[in-house]
Amino acid sequence: MEITFAVLLWAVRIAFLVLLYLFLVRAFSALQRSLAAEQAVAARPAGIAFLVVQRSVRGAPRVGERMPLRAVNSIGRDAGNDVVLNDEAASARHALLEFADGEWWVEDSGSTNGTLVNGESIRSRERLQYGDELAVGRVALRLEQA
Amino acid sequence: MRSRGAAPRAALHVGAVRGGSSGGGAPRTAGGGVPRRRTAELGLLVWVALLALAGFAAVVGAETSAFGPAVIVVPAIYLGLVLALHVFLVLRRFRGDQLLFPLAAALTAIGLVLVQRLASDLLLQQLSWALIAGGAFVATILIPRDLTTLARFKWTWAFLGLVLLVAPLLPGIGREINGAKIWVKIGPGSIEPWEAVKLLLVIFFAGYLEEYREVLAQAPRRIGRFPVPPIPYLLPIIAMWGMAMVVMVFEKDLGATLLFFGIFLAMLYLATGEAFYTLIGLALLLGGGFVAYHAFPHVAARVDIWIRPFADELRFGAGYQLVQGLFALGNGGLIGAGLGNGLPERIPVVWSDFVFDAFAEETGFLGAAALLAVYLLFVYRGMLIALRAPTTFLQLLAAGLSFIVALQTLVIVGGNARLIPLTGITLPFVAYGGSSLVTNWMLVALLMRVSDASARIRGT
Repeated sequence: MEITFAVLLWAVRIAFLVLLYLFLVRAFSALQRSLAAEQAVAARPAGIAFLVVQRSVRGAPRVGERMPLRAVNSIGRDAGNDVVLNDEAASARHALLEFADGEWWVEDSGSTNGTLVNGESIRSRERLQYGDELAVGRVALRLEQA
Repeated sequence: MRSRGAAPRAALHVGAVRGGSSGGGAPRTAGGGVPRRRTAELGLLVWVALLALAGFAAVVGAETSAFGPAVIVVPAIYLGLVLALHVFLVLRRFRGDQLLFPLAAALTAIGLVLVQRLASDLLLQQLSWALIAGGAFVATILIPRDLTTLARFKWTWAFLGLVLLVAPLLPGIGREINGAKIWVKIGPGSIEPWEAVKLLLVIFFAGYLEEYREVLAQAPRRIGRFPVPPIPYLLPIIAMWGMAMVVMVFEKDLGATLLFFGIFLAMLYLATGEAFYTLIGLALLLGGGFVAYHAFPHVAARVDIWIRPFADELRFGAGYQLVQGLFALGNGGLIGAGLGNGLPERIPVVWSDFVFDAFAEETGFLGAAALLAVYLLFVYRGMLIALRAPTTFLQLLAAGLSFIVALQTLVIVGGNARLIPLTGITLPFVAYGGSSLVTNWMLVALLMRVSDASARIRGT
C-alpha cells in the first residue's frame, strides 16, 4: 500500500492520542513512585528496637504486634506507659526496660505477678538479649532488633 | 484570646520555615554544591516534547497539507523554554515536586496546539505570553525568599485584590469585551485583573484563616447541633459574599463570582472543618443567585440558555455558541474527528470559551477523558502537597491553589457540556489568554515552593 500524506496525517493524529495516554501513564507511575518513597520515609522504624507480641489472652494486645522501643521504656497497664499492655494480670506500672551501655536491661517495678525472662522470674536488674522472651502478666513479648 | 492563641503559633511557623529555606536558599547555592537532579521531571518532559511535536504536526499538517518546517518552529521555541525552566530548577537545587511542572507544561503545550488549530493568527501572541509566564514562574520561585512572609502582608493582598477587582469598573481604564466588564486596558492590550485576584485572595484567606481558625472552629455557643458563628470574625466572609455579588451585578461576570466564592467556602471548610459554614455560604450564594435571576436580565439569559438552548428563539441567537459546542461534543465520538479534521470553527470564540469542546471534537471521548485525567493528577498532587505542608498557612495556601484549578476546570467543562450554566471562565493552561496563563504558572510555582519547604524540613 502506498503511504500517502493522508495516511501519514492519520498516523500522527493517532500518535498524538497514544502519546497523551503514555504521558498520563508515566505521570501516574511517577506519582506512585514518589508516594512510595514518601511512605518508606514515614515507615522508617521509629524505635531503636521492638517488642513483638508472642502470646496474649483474647487478643489484647494482638499477637504479632510490634511495639517500638525508646531508650527507656516503662511497661504496664496504665495508659501512661511507653508500652501499654491491656492485660488484667499486668500491674499498672509493671516493669522498666532500658538500653544502657549497649545492652538492654529489664527491671521489675514491684509488680503483683512478677516479670519473667525466658520463663524465669527476675529478681534484680537483668540483662536481655535480642530474641529473649519477656513475660508480663499473661502477655509474652520477644525483644527484636530494629 | 486571639493574641494568646495565635501569636506563639505563628512565631513557631516562621521559625520552622525560615530554618528550612535559609538552609537551602541562596546562601547555600552561592557556596557551591552539586546541582540537584530532577530525573522524574526530565523523564516526563520528554513525553511532553513528543506530545507537542505530534500535536503541531497533526494540526499544521491538516492546515497546509504538508509537513513543512513550520511544524517544528513553535514547539521548538516552547520546548526550549520548558527545558530552560527545568535547568533553572536543577541549578537552583530546588527540591519541590517534580510532577506539577511536567503536567502544567503538557497542558500548556495542548493549549498552544489548540490555538494553532483554532486561531492561528493568535499563536504568536500566545507563545509570547508563554514566555512571559515562564518569567513569572522563575520570579515566583525566587521571591519572596520565605513564603511565610506572604502571610504577614495578608491585608495588603486583600486590599490589592479589591483594587484589582473594581479596576475594570473605573471609567477610562475599564473595558467591556463580549458582554463582561472584566478587562483593564494597559498599553496596546488589555488584561483580566481577576486572574491575579484569585491568587491574592487565596494568599489572604490562608493568612486570615491561619490566624483565626481556632476562633472560627470552636464556636462558643450552639443552637441544637448548629454552631453559632462568632459574628465579628465572620465579617470578612459576609464582605466576601457582598463583593462576589457586586462583581456579578456590575461586571456581569458569573464565572469569577462562582470562583471567588467557591474558593472562600472551600478554604473556610478546610480551616475549620465546620460543614455548617459551607452550607450557610451555599445558601447565601443560591439566594443571591435567585434574586439576581429575577432582577438582572443577563443572569436570567444565561440560565435560559442553559435550560433550553434548542428553543427556537435561542438556537440561532444567544444560545448559538452553546448549541454549536454541544454539536461539536457529539461529533467527537469515541476517538474524535482527528486533530485538524473537525469543525470546531463553527463555535463562536471557540479558542477562549470552548477549547474543551473543540478538543473533545477532534480527539474524542478518549482525548477529553485524558485531558481531564491530567487535571485530576494535577489537583491530586496539589492536595497531597497541602497535606504534607509544614505549617497551617502553607497547607491552606496549597489546598486553596489546587482548589482554584479544580473549580475552574469543573466550572468551564461543566459549562461547555451544559451540566451547569455557562460562564466565561478559562480552562486553566489550555484556553487562549495571557493573564490566565501567567497567573496559572505563578500558581504552579507557589505550589512547588510549598512542597519545596516541606521537603527541606523533612530532609528528604
